[in-house]
Amino acid sequence: MSSLNGAPLDTHAPGHADTSITRDAFKITTRKLPILKAGPIDEMTKKLGIAPPEMIFGDNLARIEHIPSGWSLEFNAFDALDRVDKTGASMLEVSYSKEWQKNRQKQFEDIKEVVKPFDWSYSTDFKGTETGDSKLQPTGTPIPLALLRRPDPILFFDDVMLYEDELADNGIAMLSCKIRVMPARLLLLVRYFMRLDDVLVRIRDTRVYVEFATGEVIREYTAREEKYELVKKAHAGSGEDFLVIMRDPNLLTQFIPIVDKSLDKVVLQ
Amino acid sequence: MSIGGSDLDKAITQLRACRPIPENQVRELCYKARELLIEEGNVVGVDAPVTICGDIHGQFHDLMELFRVGGDVPDTNYLFMGDFVDRGFYSLESFLLLLCLKVRYPDRITLIRGNHESRQITTVYGFYDECLRKYGSANVWRYCCEVFDYLALGALVSGAATSLSPTDGPLAETTNVESLPDSDSEIEIETLNANGEIMYRYARNSDSQSNAVSGANSNPASSSPAAPTPSRTGPAGTGATSSANGSSRNDTGAVLCVHGGLSPLIDTIDKIRLLDRKQEVPHEGAMCDLLWSDPDDIDGWGLSPRGAGFLFGADIVKCFNHKNDLSLIARAHQLVMEGFKEMFDSTIVTVWSAPNYCYRCGNVAAILELGEDGSNAGFVRRSNGERGGGGGGWALGSNDEPNRNGGGGGGANDNRRLSSVLADGMQRMRDGPGRRYRVFEAAPQDSRGMPAKKPVADYFL
Repeated sequence: MSSLNGAPLDTHAPGHADTSITRDAFKITTRKLPILKAGPIDEMTKKLGIAPPEMIFGDNLARIEHIPSGWSLEFNAFDALDRVDKTGASMLEVSYSKEWQKNRQKQFEDIKEVVKPFDWSYSTDFKGTETGDSKLQPTGTPIPLALLRRPDPILFFDDVMLYEDELADNGIAMLSCKIRVMPARLLLLVRYFMRLDDVLVRIRDTRVYVEFATGEVIREYTAREEKYELVKKAHAGSGEDFLVIMRDPNLLTQFIPIVDKSLDKVVLQ
Repeated sequence: MSIGGSDLDKAITQLRACRPIPENQVRELCYKARELLIEEGNVVGVDAPVTICGDIHGQFHDLMELFRVGGDVPDTNYLFMGDFVDRGFYSLESFLLLLCLKVRYPDRITLIRGNHESRQITTVYGFYDECLRKYGSANVWRYCCEVFDYLALGALVSGAATSLSPTDGPLAETTNVESLPDSDSEIEIETLNANGEIMYRYARNSDSQSNAVSGANSNPASSSPAAPTPSRTGPAGTGATSSANGSSRNDTGAVLCVHGGLSPLIDTIDKIRLLDRKQEVPHEGAMCDLLWSDPDDIDGWGLSPRGAGFLFGADIVKCFNHKNDLSLIARAHQLVMEGFKEMFDSTIVTVWSAPNYCYRCGNVAAILELGEDGSNAGFVRRSNGERGGGGGGWALGSNDEPNRNGGGGGGANDNRRLSSVLADGMQRMRDGPGRRYRVFEAAPQDSRGMPAKKPVADYFL
């Protein structure tokens, strides 16, 4: 497994090389390996044009393949990061930035340039990399939540981190996948969660639902975003510990409005 | 007096078993520690030999592994560059143990402040919650935060040897004996694994090197550096290049240790000494920069894209080192998969000592050992300056430098503008000290008293 990321042979890292399960025509694969080493990080930096997040699980992936048609949808860090704004046009600033810059400008008139500006919150609208002739198309069909609420046995489960950054101790940004495969269907959730303390909270979820028998694949993308202060206001009076909530995207969603949503579907033969 | 002498030893024993000590003992301990720390300057003077460690982040069992690999206190002299707390599950035990060791063996262990040794940061990233959970009140957190305010901002290691006496250890399984430098060469860098086996060895001013790390699996680290850095020939983590050492022979200067990096407000170490450090880490200013800034492949100073914080390039480091008679800056603050990363022709190194960071990154950790220069106690002096045009040794800290490499336009001195020092100072950087990195992995799972973390299947929606 070490050859995959160039780690020394004696690195006993957590995780695993590819694990997979096949249900009918669908093959589901996950890969969990340590963060990248310096060399691969340099390569990725060059290819991406931006510095990758502090914890970059560049070898990890979650993939759903439909074997007969050659269709697949893959989630990996590189493809997700390739969709991060690299120009600095949508750059956020940490909460104390104004104060910091005001004081700094007096002292250092010559240090004005932001080095390599880019969206350092690594916000991505990545919905997976699709290959094959069949393509997901916009649809009105939602994911059948009722079928997912049934306590069907879980045959395969994994959670895979793609990247994480502590935003220089100003919060957190992370992209992670969770997948559960039941006898007749599967659900994959890829979540981008970003909390910039005292500034902004973002949750962008991509859910992929597959019904094995019919070959039906539904993908739902939901983006939520709210100012930190407004989340705080919305939360006030809920009786729950604010700091705990701010760390838990599952609890947070109820306080954050949806700002973007899309639904796609493909039926694979 | 509830903590002192044998009580202190008892507390150390208890903390080594990862069991917290009672609140009243913490109070006493913190009081004693403050009394001790207040006597230290902002920049603590430390004599080699010393073992330099990076971030710990509450990974107590890995700290025990660090002591196993690096030798126990007080047998080994340690310097920890901050970030003892937050993120891991045992910030309390880790910090209190280090503090106990500091009070018990003040001359054998040096603690400097990291950006996590702050009230604000610990409230968000775990230490505050942990204290509350373990004691039912925030008192212990408060005592610890008061200690944080007294921690030094940096350390200056003097008397480090220019070369290592080679470890008489066995070779790691993957190391090719043919690739090791000759036994009589001067060893600049050695990397050992947790069993003390040699993974890599690099001789100064030579192309011969073993490369167990990259040789074993053709790690692209050695062949694809980031664009602006000179091409590396050393293994992952080291900045070893045959060209970097040029032809000049210099004595090694001192080594500055600081958690984050440099500050545009600080051009001499004396300016660090003038800061008023006994306060919460401010959001801006020199003290903030020392704990927060990062080196980056840029020219000069840069502003972090986050809108706060500085980045500094190779020229800044080389200039600072030259001006302050430093051969190396050791810092922590940034996670590196290999445990350490030398940059800018080995003028700065990041040391990271939290293996498998946050219990999920899978990275290895490293500590940096600097040996003692036995040739002339109190002075950094080399007797065999036969190579290059170097020759003379000189007293540490002296600005009265001879024309060391015989090339270019005369010796630089401190009165000159930084930019002009930079222009010709590049060619005569001081040689770094001999550097022995011990690389280690996370403590075995069964030593932690908790089960391996496996994803638990749940019916998420």
